[in-house]
Amino acid sequence: MKREFGKWLGWAYYLALLFFLQLPILLLIIFSFNDSVLLVFPLKGFTLDWYRQLLGARELLNAARNSLMVGLISSAVATGLGTMGAIAISRYNFPGRQFFLNIATLPLVIPYVVLGVAMLILFQALGITLSLWTITIGHAIINIPYVMLIVAARLSGFANNLEEAAMDLGATYWGTLMRITLPISAPALVAAFLSSFTLSFDEFSLAFFLAGTDNTLPVYLYSQLRFPNRLPLAITTAAVVILVSVAILLVSEWLRRLGVERNARQGR
Amino acid sequence: MKKTRVLFALLVAAALLLAACAGGPSGPAEQRNDSLIVLEWSGYEEESYWAPFAEKHPEIYPDYAFFSEDAEALAKAQSGFYFDVVHPCGSWWGLYVEAGLVQPIDTSRLENFDKLFPELVEHGVINGQQYFIPWDWAYESITVRTDLVDELPTSWADLWDPQYRGQIAIFDSGESTFYTAALALGLDPYNTTPEQDEQIKQKLIELKPNLLTYWADYTEINQLLASGDVALGANTWNDAWATLNDEGYEVEYVDPAEGRLSYACGFGISANSRNVDLAYDYIDALIDAQSNANMANDYYYGAANRDSVPLLDPDLVDKFGYDDLSVLDETNFQHPLTQEQREKMTRIWNEVKSEQ
Amino acid sequence: METKRRLFVLIAPPAIVLALFFLAPLVIMLLYSFKDNTFGPLLPLTFKHYITFLQTPSFFRLLLDSSKLSFLTAIISIILAYPVAYFLVFYTGARRVILLTLLILPAWTSFLLRVLAWKVILGSNGLLNQTLIGLGLIQEGAPVLLYSQSAVLITLVYVWIPFAALPLFAAMERIDPRLHEAAQDLGASPGQTFWRVTLPLTMPGVASAFFFVFIPTLGEWVTPTLVGGVTGIMYGNLIQDQFARALNWPLGALLSLVLLVLVAAFSYVFNRFIPITEVPVST
Repeated sequence: MKREFGKWLGWAYYLALLFFLQLPILLLIIFSFNDSVLLVFPLKGFTLDWYRQLLGARELLNAARNSLMVGLISSAVATGLGTMGAIAISRYNFPGRQFFLNIATLPLVIPYVVLGVAMLILFQALGITLSLWTITIGHAIINIPYVMLIVAARLSGFANNLEEAAMDLGATYWGTLMRITLPISAPALVAAFLSSFTLSFDEFSLAFFLAGTDNTLPVYLYSQLRFPNRLPLAITTAAVVILVSVAILLVSEWLRRLGVERNARQGR
Repeated sequence: MKKTRVLFALLVAAALLLAACAGGPSGPAEQRNDSLIVLEWSGYEEESYWAPFAEKHPEIYPDYAFFSEDAEALAKAQSGFYFDVVHPCGSWWGLYVEAGLVQPIDTSRLENFDKLFPELVEHGVINGQQYFIPWDWAYESITVRTDLVDELPTSWADLWDPQYRGQIAIFDSGESTFYTAALALGLDPYNTTPEQDEQIKQKLIELKPNLLTYWADYTEINQLLASGDVALGANTWNDAWATLNDEGYEVEYVDPAEGRLSYACGFGISANSRNVDLAYDYIDALIDAQSNANMANDYYYGAANRDSVPLLDPDLVDKFGYDDLSVLDETNFQHPLTQEQREKMTRIWNEVKSEQ
Repeated sequence: METKRRLFVLIAPPAIVLALFFLAPLVIMLLYSFKDNTFGPLLPLTFKHYITFLQTPSFFRLLLDSSKLSFLTAIISIILAYPVAYFLVFYTGARRVILLTLLILPAWTSFLLRVLAWKVILGSNGLLNQTLIGLGLIQEGAPVLLYSQSAVLITLVYVWIPFAALPLFAAMERIDPRLHEAAQDLGASPGQTFWRVTLPLTMPGVASAFFFVFIPTLGEWVTPTLVGGVTGIMYGNLIQDQFARALNWPLGALLSLVLLVLVAAFSYVFNRFIPITEVPVST
């Protein structure tokens, strides 16, 4: 009896919190179809006009393309470097290992405003003009720890007897790495790449400090927030980005679970 | 495995060395000889503002690097970013000269130079030489939504009136807020003692209950006033009033008892410019009567060229005195600041903002 | 020897990149905090920004105030997320993963626009004001909540709840349900079971949730800029101001350094109790 009541209460609370969390997103999506520049109720009427305008908004599409490039390149770099680090820390015990791990995971906790400031000063001191490349470097740095932890978690689930067996059979170390270790970590690699990409694609604070004349999508959107008549277009972009990033993350989560399940089936 | 530790130590050492060498402004950036790079506020790239240049050099389209704050432009110029022409506002001109970023201008090479208002031109003279050519000028005062307040402010000091509690947005600028408080206290902003600086700081802290938020650019303050989130826009330029007035809001642009603030912005040529001839042609095109008027009409500002006046909106000329610059005598014109003055003002503003 | 070479090849690239673009910037930032002003030569070094910092108690107070706000954000997020995680794990069976995914979906969408959505909700023509006007509770006019510390708190809690929910959910999933049964068999009331069994077992999850909300919000400046107004300003704004407007990079570097030291100290202490960066070696 009591448990039934608890369950009922639980559902009520869950739905209330769900409403609180989804309402703002829902509002943005609703207003992206609203036939008015102002984001106020009552709604004026249904329109696809903002979506049509989106296709013609050159600067916005440009910014989206920049974000795509920055996201792809920084995630690829982070995945490469992070995986190397992950193999090193999960397969070798060496002096300085904990030190390396501490430094490599520090970007997880450093406030982006601090990292942004530090990198801005570095680039200025080196005379490097800010550009999409400087943002790419920044995003690679913040993504390395995520990749390392995801891939290392996967690798530590496998004892390296497979690798040893391959080498006993005459494979070279690097051949073993390419044919055994990397395929084993494949689901983690893909998940790490996708989560890096999503982080980079939405990252604003660091990009704000490191942006030159070319903007990424969040930096561009931020500059547009001030123009009331451009708000609908920003919101429509948001609606599209929401759908795309949700799709990407669902795929990445699916891949991760696939990896975990296979892990479990193989009895680790 | 000592190697990794040694590696880290070496790299940190290299970084230190790097920092030591790179402390000063860095080397020149990309070289371009066939084009003109303009360090400009976003929104001023319209071709109608420099049409004569396009006629004379149809093969060249200026390259723009945009900024949204004077501080941003100076930081960019200081960090070695290559530009030919830059468009800062008057109070920043001195810093460009101090840092050797701009070169003296040979005014005889500008056909339109003689048509400029001398009252503005004189502010571009620093250390006895003309470094900047004024282009646009405006006021800084208080824009009021008259339908949202019972009583209009008539002075800067009225901003402190408790009746405006939570109804004001002020320009997020150490310089402007310093002037505002100094004027309200009856002080000369350019000659203050440390005690008076402290007084100004306390005065600004006292203003906080009346402030709802800070504004950073004109679209933001227009939005704040239009939505009615605030009733008073402090240290707004005349364009805020003009834009809202055009849209049918009930607004007034105050003429405070202590006098409005006023300022001019203008163009300088980079000390490193490799396209000096083009730079002169571009500036000359900007201060052409028609180009200057086109800009002034779009932004509701005053034009530096006397011959532009007949081409301006007569209502605005009448309201703001764009035809006779003796109006500037009743205002507090913002002079070029030294590094120390600017540091002091921003330090005070930092402390005011961080005070909870 | 061979092993050393392999390890070196693996670890050198990430180590070099991290040293160049992560450690070096932090070292240079430290040097910059001793620089006289934004431009000009590095030498001679000066303590003047340190003196300014120490002589300005309002900087300290703002740091304290921001920390309090981050602390509140973390605590409120945990309090709001805890019951939901509890409900999902112990009451909803196999559907819990889908239900959790629905809940944290907003965390995957644009951070900026989620903040903007709150600006729209809390603004003078926004949902909240209009509802209150409709109910006759307030007159037409100024926004009730926008541009205040409360607005910052609400928005931050909204943004960070999902990040609090995840570790709590994970911690509860690890609890063996037989423990609950055992407690009840031994005559514990549901209340006792919760306080004596569930809560202690989920404390690591609570601690992780706190860490993952408290730390990132400490450096926040975007949310206060958009919804904070004059009273909602945070320490991160002070840092950002030095670069965007005040053009005092050395002071900005020093302010960043202070925050970094605070975060590092907190992470160090935290990591001693609940290790987040421990990876087993399987050789």
